[in-house]
Amino acid sequence: MQEAYKLSILYYLAFSLLLIFSAIMLFEHKIGFSFSGVLEYYTGNEEKFIPAQSVGGILKIVLPHIFVFGLFAMVLLHFLVFADLRYKKNITLLVYTAFIVALLEIFTPFMIIGGFEFFAYIKLFSFFTFLTLLLYISWLLFQSITKE
Amino acid sequence: MKFTVIKNLQKDSAMSLILKGLLFFILLYVVSDIFVMKSSFGISAEAVSSTLFGSEEAYIDPINESSFLEFWHTQIFFIMMILLTLSAVFIRVAKRSRTVLTNILMISALISLISLPLAFYTSKFFIDIYVMGYFLWHIVAIYMIFYSFWKLNARSV
Repeated sequence: MQEAYKLSILYYLAFSLLLIFSAIMLFEHKIGFSFSGVLEYYTGNEEKFIPAQSVGGILKIVLPHIFVFGLFAMVLLHFLVFADLRYKKNITLLVYTAFIVALLEIFTPFMIIGGFEFFAYIKLFSFFTFLTLLLYISWLLFQSITKE
Repeated sequence: MKFTVIKNLQKDSAMSLILKGLLFFILLYVVSDIFVMKSSFGISAEAVSSTLFGSEEAYIDPINESSFLEFWHTQIFFIMMILLTLSAVFIRVAKRSRTVLTNILMISALISLISLPLAFYTSKFFIDIYVMGYFLWHIVAIYMIFYSFWKLNARSV
């Protein structure tokens, strides 16, 4: 790979870190990292004057994220091909897990407002797993690029 | 990203045209971004300051934390995608100045994005850095777009 392209990918990784950091800040501010926080955000709490989310309201947030999660994961994962990591066995597992966890992260709010409170745990789990996977992929890329 | 491995872009008229189209849309985005930011968030230090902290004289309420974080989060995503695409095209067509300009573009964009929350949460001082970084990456991006256009029209790249 050309040196200049490596530079471009390294900066993309830096932006990715910033995006992940802003996502954590936004999640913490709007929802919170506790089971009750997630539940209250989606199903509401009369005592705390938190309105319940509607299907339409969730869809408004979910819609851009469907595209963005797919695109962001695809761009990051396809750099693995350039970094010659595509033939490693666990990369296939990584790709599957990244997209499945992203799907869970996006669609669990619908289950929560549908009365399945347990999905609040899955929401938290999938959020952190997705971000951890993105960080792991970024680390793999960083290692591969700086080693070459 | 097929264009990164094509040996002579000039001979591949279809790919050259596609890249020109892409560059035109990136140019539209970068220029429109300035106008949109001017009418919403502000592009001068004073305007950004009144958006972030409000202005009693102009009866402007400060932006709430939730809206600010959403704005910042969205900006990071769009800027990273635009700059990755632009730098990929520029690196393919440019020869000498590509490393320096890519560094300036990315670092100034990163500085502007990092200084935004620093301005909101810590000190107004970072507003000036944000504005400088914002204009620097826009100017460099516009230069890179026109340079890439010019190189795509040159004999061979």
